[in-house]
This record gives sequence, structure tokens and C-alpha cells, in this order.
Amino acid sequence: MIDTRHLRRPLAGIASLAAASLVLAACSSGDSDTSGSLEDVDPDEVSGEISLLTPIFEGTEGQKLLEDELLPQFYAEYPNVKVSVDYTTYGNLNEKLTTAAVSGQVPDVMLMGVGWIEGFAAKDFLADMSDLGLTQDVLLESYEPTIVEAGMYDGGVYGVPIMLDTRIGIARMDILEEAGYDAPPATWDELIEMSEALTVRNGGTLERAGFDLLSNDSRQVFETFLFSAGGALFNEDNTAPAFNEQPGIDALTLMTELINTYKVEDIGFASTDQAVHPLINGRAAMGLSHNNLWTQAEDVDPEILQHMEPFLITGEQPGMFFGGTFATRSANSSSPEAAQAFLEFLTSPDIALAANEQRGNVPALKELLETEYVESNRFVQFSLENLEYAQREGGPASWLEVRGDFAPAIESALLQQKTPEEALNDLAALVESTLARS
Amino acid sequence: MSTTTDLVLDEEPGATPKAPRTTSAKGAKTRSTIILHVLLMVGAITMIIPFLWMIFTSVKTNAELAANPPTFFPTEWRWENYPEALDAARFDLYFRNSFIIATGHTLITLVFGSMAGYSLARIPFRGRNIVFLAMVAMLMIPTYTKIVPQFLIVKMMPLFGGNDILGQGGSGWLDSWWALLIPGGLSATSIFLFRQFYLSLPKELEEAARIDGLGEFRIFAQIYTPLIKPAIATVGLLTFQESWNNFLWPLLVTTSENLRVIQVGLAVFQQLDATAWQYLMAGTTLATVPMVLLFIFAQKYFIQGFTNTGIK
Repeated sequence: MIDTRHLRRPLAGIASLAAASLVLAACSSGDSDTSGSLEDVDPDEVSGEISLLTPIFEGTEGQKLLEDELLPQFYAEYPNVKVSVDYTTYGNLNEKLTTAAVSGQVPDVMLMGVGWIEGFAAKDFLADMSDLGLTQDVLLESYEPTIVEAGMYDGGVYGVPIMLDTRIGIARMDILEEAGYDAPPATWDELIEMSEALTVRNGGTLERAGFDLLSNDSRQVFETFLFSAGGALFNEDNTAPAFNEQPGIDALTLMTELINTYKVEDIGFASTDQAVHPLINGRAAMGLSHNNLWTQAEDVDPEILQHMEPFLITGEQPGMFFGGTFATRSANSSSPEAAQAFLEFLTSPDIALAANEQRGNVPALKELLETEYVESNRFVQFSLENLEYAQREGGPASWLEVRGDFAPAIESALLQQKTPEEALNDLAALVESTLARS
Repeated sequence: MSTTTDLVLDEEPGATPKAPRTTSAKGAKTRSTIILHVLLMVGAITMIIPFLWMIFTSVKTNAELAANPPTFFPTEWRWENYPEALDAARFDLYFRNSFIIATGHTLITLVFGSMAGYSLARIPFRGRNIVFLAMVAMLMIPTYTKIVPQFLIVKMMPLFGGNDILGQGGSGWLDSWWALLIPGGLSATSIFLFRQFYLSLPKELEEAARIDGLGEFRIFAQIYTPLIKPAIATVGLLTFQESWNNFLWPLLVTTSENLRVIQVGLAVFQQLDATAWQYLMAGTTLATVPMVLLFIFAQKYFIQGFTNTGIK
């Protein structure tokens, strides 16, 4: 295995693995490459020019972190490797990856989101890192099973987590205490009751939402409630939708009733592209939020942070959604050892911690729970403490094709154009046809 | 209006209109003018409010952006947002690159687009109408459907970027100025506009020029093209604007930071999970300035150009 002694590697088990021959997955053009085990490779002998495609480390701040602080550490260890970085945004990552894949110009190391890996792995663009010792068992020593599983496809390990982002409940305790509550809701029933009580209207005009669920992507909000209802997006082998079963219907019914029956928020009151989250300026008493609400509030009104309390949306079970950024390696890299070395560098504790700190996100490594950064960010800390409940989206290789169909279906139920059951069944039919096609 | 009607009824047939009618007509005209100006002002205000909002947002503090209820005018003008936004990415480099690409596209379009337009308008050749119809058909192809084929053409450019004569083995034009300047350098829209302008000019000029012994190229360059300044301004402005605002193509074909453009820089402020509105608006304001100035200087020709081609 590559020597990364300077990095306090969490993947201690890797070093003890027996040497395995590196058999790269065949690339789309039919090339293949073979190299020996990396276990005994001298870092000075690892060489090559590799490329990194990244939707993180963006902007001057991110680039300075990567190029001025992190890469020099890597070059100190691997002096004969050169990394060229292609910065993009998550909004355009899919186009970058798709055109790269079509043209055969696949970057050696690619950072991509949860739910993305399956599609690219299925098309043989990504290398199975089990061949180099990064097996599921090794990763399970450092990460929660659900996090490891997010980087896997068809039994192989194709992605290693760098950072996570979560969707959790947040309560404004100052507002709750004014209304006589001393803790966030612990059940769906409490959520409904408290949201109703905390909603403020002035002559029919909503002034404060009791529970805000419109500031986030509606698909991810639905998934959080779905997970808390004990449901899943797909069946176990990801061959059929499961989101239209009873837990899914219950989850979407709750969302629909919160808006239309209990009237705790009005359509249009909040949106994903608003200038400020309603929990920050008091336009909402509770809500479902991205963990980066902490850093947003720090920028706008640090005083408000003392009043913000994270909680898990709990129905049949505690529910938490997680997305994230995983490091993957191209199956047809001309310098697989160099690419693997760089991937392991990016996912190592110190480097992942720095990347998470820059974005205000949740480190995937359990061992980082007691770091200063995590302890200074209550939402990150809470997310990391409760990762056992976190579930993700994705599963089938065609997830990226179908995920765009979720929002219109969910919104049709919220707008009462369809019942929750109709909306989910129609969506399931769409998803089934895509799954059948692929 | 009823007054006017009464006066007309009182008049004898064929009589000269009386003064009151003239006053009334003038009054009606004045009223129409006032109504027209009021409507135009409402339209202008509607158009300008988003720009004002953009500028005001660009100088607001974080706290004010979070204010509930939101404010339109900033209570505190925070001009530091501008230098801070410029520090967030290499905007000097991005501005330079966008300017080079937009200028390059504009020059290519004006030179080759005008030639193509002239050919389709004034040089009879077999299949001219088919070529023109093909050009019009090209207007209907959505940009996104062309991205991947265009990307492959660029990637397989023979003898560039390590490619052999068959366009294999290397990266072609990818991550180079060629990929930024050549594709998109000429559009069917510009050829169509030029053709319409050249068609509107009298044939007698051409005949006189031929009698004087001028060749085809000199007729094009010295006789007809100087007469279509509105077209040049219109096509130039539209091309510059389209290139300046282009985001996806430069992002896809480049991997080096040194070749990135202004729109890519602005994306830094707008991530999937958070938007830095004050910096995004500051950057957008700066990115809009060149286009606004260009329009101010060329608006006379620009409006004339659209009027002449009958495009509204």
C-alpha cells in the first residue's frame, strides 16, 4: 500500500493487507493496465501527471487551501507526481463528467456526489479500489456502514468519502421557549402540534412559519421524512422503487398536511434560492435544514446560534438525510498508482478535515468527532454523532436520470393537484420505465 | 372627444374646420402623448428595477440581507463587497479571457458572417436557396443538443494537442484558445441578419460598380458593406453579448484556470447549498458594465438595425 505515514491514516488495515495484484477495470476504449501491489512501493517511485476534477475547493479561498497548503504536503511525499486541477461547480459537474466520459478524457481523480457513483461505475469509468486494498471491510473500520455503502456499486468500492452534508431538523429555542416548549419535537405528532402552535399569522398573512420545509430541495425533504417513516427509496437490490409504499405515502401526506391542513407554512413563503434562511431571521420557528445553516448564521448573526438546536425528524425511527463528496479514480488512468496515492491523500483525516472546515461540512471519519472544528460547529457535531441514522439517496445506476422527476411529483402533492399516493405512484411508474430502459 | 364630435356636427359640409376643433385635436394629441410617455415610463421602471435591486444588493451588509422584512434601499452602503468579491476568484484573469473571446467571436462573425450573408443575398449560385434554408434550419437546433458532438469535434481535431492525422491519441483543441475561439465564432443568426440587410440594398449600386470595373470582393467591401453599419452594430453587439455571457462551453472545454471566463468566476458565489448574494450581485454588476456601455454607444445603430430587418 502507498506509504502515507505523515497523514495518521485511518485505513490502518490497508497496510497489513497481503499484496494484491492491481488489475484495473477495463476502460471504455478497451485498454487495460496491470501493475503490482502498492504495498511495498516507494513513494519516490510513484510518478506521473494526474488530473483532478473537483466541485469543492472552489474560489480563491478553496484554491489557496488546495494549492498552497494541501498539495505541497502531497508533493513532499510524492515528489514525482504532478497534479493538475480542474475546478468546477456541483451545478455543472454532471456535464463535465459526461462530456469527459464520452470523449474518453476522464480525469484521473474525480470528486463527485452521493448517488453519482453508481451510474459512472456501471459504465466502467471508475476503478474498483478493492483491487488496491481499499475493500469494504477496511473502510468499515473508519466509516459508518451507510457511508461506506454510498461509495459502493455491485460489491466493489468505487468511492471514498471526503465530506458529508446532512439535512436535520433545527429549532429556534428562543421562539419555542416563548411558546412554552423546552425541547424540539421528538415525534411526528409533536412536530405537527408544535408547528401549529408556533405559526404566526396576521390577518391571514403568514408572518412566521411553524415549520419550514420549503427552503430545501423538496426531494431531499421528502427523503428525510421517508427515512424517518422507516421507508426506503428502492428495494434492496435497487431494481424497483419502494418510495411509493406506505412509509413514503405517510411521509408525503405529512408534508402535504403541514402545508394544506395545519397551514404551518404557505407555498411561496420560502424557497431554495432565498437570500437568507427563515430560521436565521425568525421567519420560521423550526425547519429542516442543511448543516451549513451554522456557517450561514455565523456570517449573518452569530448571536442567533445560541438559540438554534438541532434535532432528528423522528417518526417510526430517527431520520437524517446525507449527501456528500466522494473521491473516485478513473478506470483508465495512465498513472493508477499516482492517482490512488492522491485519492488516499485527499481522504486522509487531516486533509479531509481541512476541506470540511473550508465548506462547513461534516467529516465522514468517525475519528474526527473530537476535533476542534467539529466541536466548534454544533450542527456538524450533531450530524457526526448521529451518522448511524443517516441515509442517502441513490442506489440504481440510473439515479441521476430519475432524480429530477422527484421535485415535480412532490410539488404536485403539495399543491394538491394529486393525492400523495397518486403523485408517488405516477413517479414510481416513471422511475420503473427508466430502470427498465437501463 | 365628445366635444369634437359636437363641433363637427355643427359645421356645414365643406366648411373650414374651426379653431376649437384644432385645440381639441391638439389636446387629444397631448393626452395621447402623455399616456404614451406614462406607459413607456412604467415599462422603463419595470425594466430598470431588477438592475437597481442588483446594485443595491451588491452594497448591502450580510445582516441587512437577512433583515425581515427585507429592505430595497441599503441602510448602510458596504462598498467593501466589491473588492471582497474580486478577491474571491481571479476576476482580472476572467475579465481578460472573456474580453478576448467576445472580441474574437465578434471579429470572426463580422468578417465571415458578412461575407456569407452577402453571398446568400447577392451572388446567384446553384443551391443558394437550399443553403439558406439549411442556415434557417440551424437556427432551430437547441444549443444543448450540439454540446457533445461539438466537444467530440474539438477533441478529435487532427494534428492538434497530440492528435494524429485521424484525430486520435491526444486532446485536440481541448483546453486551448482554439476551442474557445473557433466553435461559436460564427452563427447562423448573424449570417441570416446580414443576408436580410444586403437584400434590402438596391441592385443599381452593384450594376454601377461593375460598369466601373470593380470585382465582387470590392463591391462587397467598398460599396455594400459601408451601407450596412446598423447591421454591423446589431450583429456585433449580439455576438459580443452572447460570447460574454457564455458559461457552459468554456467550462466544458477548459480545465486550466488560465482559460476560465467571467461567468465561471461568478459561479463561485452560487453553490448548490448556499449563495453569497452580496458578492454575486457585486460580481454581476461588474460583469454587466461592459455590456451596458457597449449598448449605450451602439444603441442608435442597434435599434435601427432591428427596425430595418423587421425584427422586433
